[in-house]
Amino acid sequence: MNYQVKEIKKGINMHLINNNKFKTNLISIFLTTELNRENVTKNAIIPAILRRGSKTMPTQEKISIELEEMYGASFNCGIDKRGDNQVLKFYMESINNNFLPEGENDLLQQTMGKLLEIVFNPLVEENGFHEEYVAQEKNNIKQLIEGKIDNKARYAIDRCTEEMYKGHQFSLYKYGYVEDLENIDKNELYQYYQELLKTCKIDIFVSGIIEDNIYDIVCQSNEIQQLESREPKYIKTSLEVIPQNHEQIVQESMDVTQGKLILGLNISLEDEDMQYDALIYNGILGGSANSKLFQNVREKASLAYVASSSYLKAKNNIFINCGIEIENYEKALQIVKQQLDQMKQGEFTENDVEIAKKVMIDAIQTIDDEQDTEIMYFFGQEFCENKLDIEQYIKRIEKVTKEAVLKIAQKVEIDTIYFLKN
Amino acid sequence: MQVIENLKVKEKLYTEKLENGLTVMIIPKKGMKKKYIIWGTNYGSNESSFIVPGETEVTTVPDGVAHFLEHKMFEQENGRNSLDVLTEIGVNANAYTTNDHTAYLYECTEHFYEALDEFMDYVQHPYFTDENVEKEKGIIGQEIMMYDDYPDWKVYLNALQAMYHKFPVRLDIVGTIETISKIDKDILYKCYNTFYNPSNMAMVICGDFEPDNILQEIKKRLIDIKANGEIKRIYPEEPEGIVKEKITQNMEVSRPLYTIGIKDKPLDTCEGNGKEELVKKHIAIEILLHLLFGESSDLYKQLYDKGIISGSPNMEYEFSRGYAHILISGQSNQPEEVYKAFREQLKKMKENGIDEAQFNRIRKTLYGDYIKEYNDVTDIARMFLADYFKGINSFDYIEQIMTVNTEYAQQVLKEVFNENMMVLSVVSM
Repeated sequence: MNYQVKEIKKGINMHLINNNKFKTNLISIFLTTELNRENVTKNAIIPAILRRGSKTMPTQEKISIELEEMYGASFNCGIDKRGDNQVLKFYMESINNNFLPEGENDLLQQTMGKLLEIVFNPLVEENGFHEEYVAQEKNNIKQLIEGKIDNKARYAIDRCTEEMYKGHQFSLYKYGYVEDLENIDKNELYQYYQELLKTCKIDIFVSGIIEDNIYDIVCQSNEIQQLESREPKYIKTSLEVIPQNHEQIVQESMDVTQGKLILGLNISLEDEDMQYDALIYNGILGGSANSKLFQNVREKASLAYVASSSYLKAKNNIFINCGIEIENYEKALQIVKQQLDQMKQGEFTENDVEIAKKVMIDAIQTIDDEQDTEIMYFFGQEFCENKLDIEQYIKRIEKVTKEAVLKIAQKVEIDTIYFLKN
Repeated sequence: MQVIENLKVKEKLYTEKLENGLTVMIIPKKGMKKKYIIWGTNYGSNESSFIVPGETEVTTVPDGVAHFLEHKMFEQENGRNSLDVLTEIGVNANAYTTNDHTAYLYECTEHFYEALDEFMDYVQHPYFTDENVEKEKGIIGQEIMMYDDYPDWKVYLNALQAMYHKFPVRLDIVGTIETISKIDKDILYKCYNTFYNPSNMAMVICGDFEPDNILQEIKKRLIDIKANGEIKRIYPEEPEGIVKEKITQNMEVSRPLYTIGIKDKPLDTCEGNGKEELVKKHIAIEILLHLLFGESSDLYKQLYDKGIISGSPNMEYEFSRGYAHILISGQSNQPEEVYKAFREQLKKMKENGIDEAQFNRIRKTLYGDYIKEYNDVTDIARMFLADYFKGINSFDYIEQIMTVNTEYAQQVLKEVFNENMMVLSVVSM
């Protein structure tokens, strides 16, 4: 087994993924905390401020120069929503020993050192973040929040989610809200950051050619030593069905050429294990070129270029996504509903199930061909009751039967029909 | 097979030009589970006028045919669609069209050879009917409308229209609703027979393969077609200068999107330059772009601190048969300011020269970036195919980079970064 988890302190884990088939080593640090209205915007702005400067690299320019010297080590950060959690993500990637010109020192330790410093040892002035950085990043986050409308397809899915989860934490936008920005000041934000570091779940992933001592180096670093053990504040995936909108219809207008039709579906599952059956259900419904949606909305009716569905495991929802001519709304919706009914009636074959399983297994087998994908897989397992490794995952998918998929079909209900038109 | 080894990135390329003219390239990747194959034709949206080998008359077809063909290739005489068949086998198949090539591909972990039967069969056997061609117009129509809602696609295309008077790179790859309405099965067959000849095609395979075996398997599945003669491609004569400096379009976006373009002379019109020069020039331009506007540059800092930009712009050099240009794209509340500041920075660099230490640092960065391109089998295969159609072996970037020095970059700066060839495209509310 090339994957190993080592506890550093309670609530702080190191995940080691040894793999020598890449040119690079990739390190990720994830800070996970419960999503809530009060802190969502603060969490969103923190990575943006941290990347501006750290204690020994106080400016972005300085950070960039140091990374460039390390043969273009790359730093990246972002915000994710995972179920009812908000995740602050930080990445650093550098080429490994085998590909450095002769005479150069190994970059892994240096890369780890820089990333730890950026995340845990920011530039602090008078007990607050650097004032200018806070002001500038408030402005940047504002633009990011407003930028939600720029990608219409993504926007439609976000809006459908908001309508489904109105009043619940999962409806929150991962970048937060413009009206919160005004009240964010450098001292308070820094205090909040320190509080976050005391309570959040911390996961440090290293993927690549890993030296044995990297765990000790991390444990002994100043940054990690400062941190205390904790009972991390985060939410595991729950099977409870929150949205209760029973086919509500939401239509909105924007300056679009093509209509975006989104259907948000609920699946009420009895246990976590059924999620694997739900994956195959989704595969048959809209997961590939053979799926019912692709075949019927696109190939037969010629109504769309995009006609697909995706399963959101963290909330047990399926989102159906079609880009259609605005006047074809009724027609497309009718065909989509027909497909859902057919699934319920068991109008799909054993062969459909086998194909969806094959497609799924093929995708699972390549998880460890990409470093980030493999990291995200193992990170995702952190939110499950029963953790599966990749082999177990494949075995579970192999076990899915037509009966099991039919059982899922019975538990699928349309919650929200969202249409973005002009 | 010819074997080319690159000791820096520690990869090998096995390549052979078969008797029928098809070039096969194999890059083995031990330990990777994903297997990837891509089969491309040196034919993209830019080729709408040409002389079929053996004919004398010029054939002109509606814009968007290459892409339309790509969609229709999956249709089979037995009524099946090869995309479905490949999915049933359990592989992930797809296709795409660019300005200069069209490619068919699939990736999988298992059932590779079973899928290879279907894959090589459908690319070699077109089946177009009036009915299946008509049906596709609805689907492609929706694809065109989908792109109409992408502001980043519009700002890019408008920049090309500001730079090019006539050259077809200025047109949408998929065509328009109007041009695709004129496409029929005869046009598709004519283009297929002209451009899908093995001598105009290349195949790249990447994954855990034994090169001799896979080559034999490919040869077995090739139908008997002779290499045809040269296809004469006819492009409109493109005037040297730009069309207009500024172009703006209104769309519902939160903040303006901008693309700065710099039109360059394509290398095939520059006398006496080989492909080595092409690679060196490309490297030099990438280094210069980093120096001018990368995250450690003065310009980046200055605009970031003023709140004019909030992240690094995308910067690239695009080139192929008959065209070449630089594109710098991002989002900003003040695109005009970005444009102005970029021009000023450029002027400064031309006056002050290139700082040696900075140059070396950026070159190191780029070296690392080139190494990173060899992590993923998909990226590798696509890169080798796209470069091949430009006459380039992808390894050359890693081989050449250290030969690019400040003197050479200085010269490229002077020749390519020409203020009179610059355009600004903006999409805003």
